[in-house]
Amino acid sequence: MSSANNILEVSSLAGGYGRFDVVRNITLRLREGEAVGLLGPNGAGKTTILRGIMGLLKQRVGTIRIGDTDVTMFPTHRIARGYAAIAPEGRRLFADQTVEDNLILGAWHRRREPQRVQALLDSVYALFPVLREYRHRQSSFLSGGEQQMVAIGRMLMADPLILLLDEPSIGLSPVAVDIVVKALIELRRRGASLLLVEQRVDVAARVCDRLYVISGGEIVEETTPEVVGREGAELINKYLG
Amino acid sequence: MFQMMLSGLTIGAIYGLLGMALSISFYVTRVINFAQGQMLMIAIIVAACLSEAGFNPWLGVALGPLAACVLGVASYFIGVRPILKADRFSFGWMVSTLGFGLVVENAIAYAVGPRSRGFPPLLNDIPIRLGDAVITGQQILALLVAAFAVAALEFVRKRTLFGKVGMATAADPEMAESIGANTMIVSAVTFALSGLIAGIAGVLIAPRTFANPYLGGTFNTFGFVAMMIGGGPENPANAMYGGLLLGVLAEGANSYINSQASDWFPFLILVLVLIVTPRGLFSTSNPLFRPRPARPA
Repeated sequence: MSSANNILEVSSLAGGYGRFDVVRNITLRLREGEAVGLLGPNGAGKTTILRGIMGLLKQRVGTIRIGDTDVTMFPTHRIARGYAAIAPEGRRLFADQTVEDNLILGAWHRRREPQRVQALLDSVYALFPVLREYRHRQSSFLSGGEQQMVAIGRMLMADPLILLLDEPSIGLSPVAVDIVVKALIELRRRGASLLLVEQRVDVAARVCDRLYVISGGEIVEETTPEVVGREGAELINKYLG
Repeated sequence: MFQMMLSGLTIGAIYGLLGMALSISFYVTRVINFAQGQMLMIAIIVAACLSEAGFNPWLGVALGPLAACVLGVASYFIGVRPILKADRFSFGWMVSTLGFGLVVENAIAYAVGPRSRGFPPLLNDIPIRLGDAVITGQQILALLVAAFAVAALEFVRKRTLFGKVGMATAADPEMAESIGANTMIVSAVTFALSGLIAGIAGVLIAPRTFANPYLGGTFNTFGFVAMMIGGGPENPANAMYGGLLLGVLAEGANSYINSQASDWFPFLILVLVLIVTPRGLFSTSNPLFRPRPARPA
């Protein structure tokens, strides 16, 4: 394991989509079993950081280490094979396929380990029992909250070292947000390492140990939920608008 | 009439196989491989040359489609992948696959000569009477292969993990990569499969035609029409149904109008079909095939 049990170390990450960098000089770390939030307004570069870690940015500099491995030069599909998995913004389920097919596809790199895949599937169904009931239903026929459960379940099926979640609460009803947050807290209890992008400070504060505030493509502050609880309004006004 | 239907269905099975070949690669990569007809051609040329050299004709029947399979993979890595890697939304593949096909066509003409070669009859000289109509063993083989190809493709698409990852790649290539699928390998395999199917179509039709380096273009056009009439972009199996319909229409025009009509009549039907159901006759956009809401109890 890399220094001080860091399961993710991002150093001097910069990158974007065209000629211009969306994020600059991003240095962050995630310890094993820790949950870290990335807070910031729209367009701050939070999603770009997650895409950079997943190898989805064409233009990227800096180094990314997951576990003991430098994955900076790895293609996305290799990073997805046990290093990191993502529940992206907007869920991006395979809409024509059933709930169970979406979940099983999440374990694509474990396709030659059927018993392991079944065990992972059972653990996802234990986390979200409603998905077992809907397992043969086409994923596009689910509600937003149920789709988010499938997206998180698909991510868990990869059984990776780190979990990346991009705005899991966006567009969900308060009830669905509560279910998702409880699931994330349960994942933490199971020892998962999470990097969570959120606009909702209350959601990030309930789940995370530490928070990075992103603004204008850079990390402008590292804080904790307790500090946010005390200085919430001031912080929100200062960075999140 | 029955004879016309039989002849139409058998030539339609060939168009359908070629339409399926086009549809499979389009289904996964959103690329229409305009060099698909040249894969049919290379299978015929390889089989004809081997037969001419004194080898057992059935050896050519086995190796021809394999050559087409290799050419399919080459078309992906030379004509498609570099374009999509630079810009996933570029349409540069239209020119690059067309260019790839022309280069292959002329390279083959240069290598083996532009003349037409005869092709061994295989099962084409085994007539089978069905009432007043006659069908050859080769035509029956074409129909059986077409039926098998549709069933096998549907099985792979819906029942295998590879089929599901192919659907995932088609729906969202970036997300497919994010679940660990190497979309380059998935795409290359689909181009190999497309080439193989086009090659099989080639050795099935070859006993009824000549082996000529320039015959790919015509078959490519008919395969494309089969795909579009049937709704192949939505489901590759639909291209087979489109191909069968196209074959019957072409034979019908040949029998009831004149021999020239088989060249233009199917295209007239294509335009009419696309006006009524823009995604193809057997697609879900067709009002006849659209799922209806359940009646209230």
